[in-house]
Amino acid sequence: MEIIEIATGKRKAIIIREAETEDFKLLTKKRFSFVWKTFRNSTSVYKLQIEGEDGILGVMGLIDWPPEKRIEIKLLASSMENIGKQKIYERIAGCLITFACRLAVSKYGPDACVSLVPKTELIKHYMQKYHMEHAGWQLYLEGNKLDKLLKEYL
Amino acid sequence: MKTKKLSTKHTPEQLAEAIIFPVTLTPTQKKEAAEQLAAARKKGQKEMTENDRLSLQLFQFKFQLEDYIQNKEFNPDLTFGYFLKQYVDLLQVKRKEFADEISIDETLLSQFINMHRMPPEYVAVRLEIHSNNAIPATYWFKLVEKQKEHELKTDKELRRKENKYVHRKIAVNF
Repeated sequence: MEIIEIATGKRKAIIIREAETEDFKLLTKKRFSFVWKTFRNSTSVYKLQIEGEDGILGVMGLIDWPPEKRIEIKLLASSMENIGKQKIYERIAGCLITFACRLAVSKYGPDACVSLVPKTELIKHYMQKYHMEHAGWQLYLEGNKLDKLLKEYL
Repeated sequence: MKTKKLSTKHTPEQLAEAIIFPVTLTPTQKKEAAEQLAAARKKGQKEMTENDRLSLQLFQFKFQLEDYIQNKEFNPDLTFGYFLKQYVDLLQVKRKEFADEISIDETLLSQFINMHRMPPEYVAVRLEIHSNNAIPATYWFKLVEKQKEHELKTDKELRRKENKYVHRKIAVNF
């Protein structure tokens, strides 16, 4: 997967891996919006980095629900300098969401589902940007919508 | 940064491009959310076409293959033959039919699947073309390489046999 440097239009390959103990010192609320340590036991936390570089640009906490063949994105944050109109890179959140889809499809095949509980004011934007479908309290991706996101980002 | 602060600083669109806030539901809301999602997914599954299903099965196959070739560990069960069988099975075609589709003899296909013969490069390329480029030839090639690497690393008999042909060794110890 790749993110795009907005100033130059240059695409940069990224890697997403599970966050390690020492990473949590860097995952501060100031830079990554939430207190990630508090989600360490309840979610699997993944970090996004540019290939060959050390800095973390995005983080995501996932919960696997095997009986439902579903992976829930509990929370996700791009680093502070990558939020808003002054952001340096685009596609960080998209790559992380696609990674969750990849995990779900790898484990659950065509029945895989990825879901999240959105803040009300963000619903239509998640739907437009990531092809998500609305199911009451939750947004979700499965079937051809999930397939579409994978094809767009991988 | 507090949610409120983020929301005043950025538009909802900008936030959706960067953040998913952790939302906590009450037990009643959780139950309702689970029922709503289950109902929506049930409907979605019914509407899923064979093509959608096949595409996701191919993605699953590709991811499992990718994960294995990127992993340093060797698994004797995950051979070229194993993955080739998985590929043919997910397409739900008979071996004869599949062999015809890539212009090889059915017997040769069985030899590859049962690992009685290692596949030449042209087979990897035909498999790439057959998958409409979904599974690159290099993936199949790396599978074969991984197996060869393991065999070369662990073949004591070959080392014993070849030892007599080496008449001098360098003096440095590694």
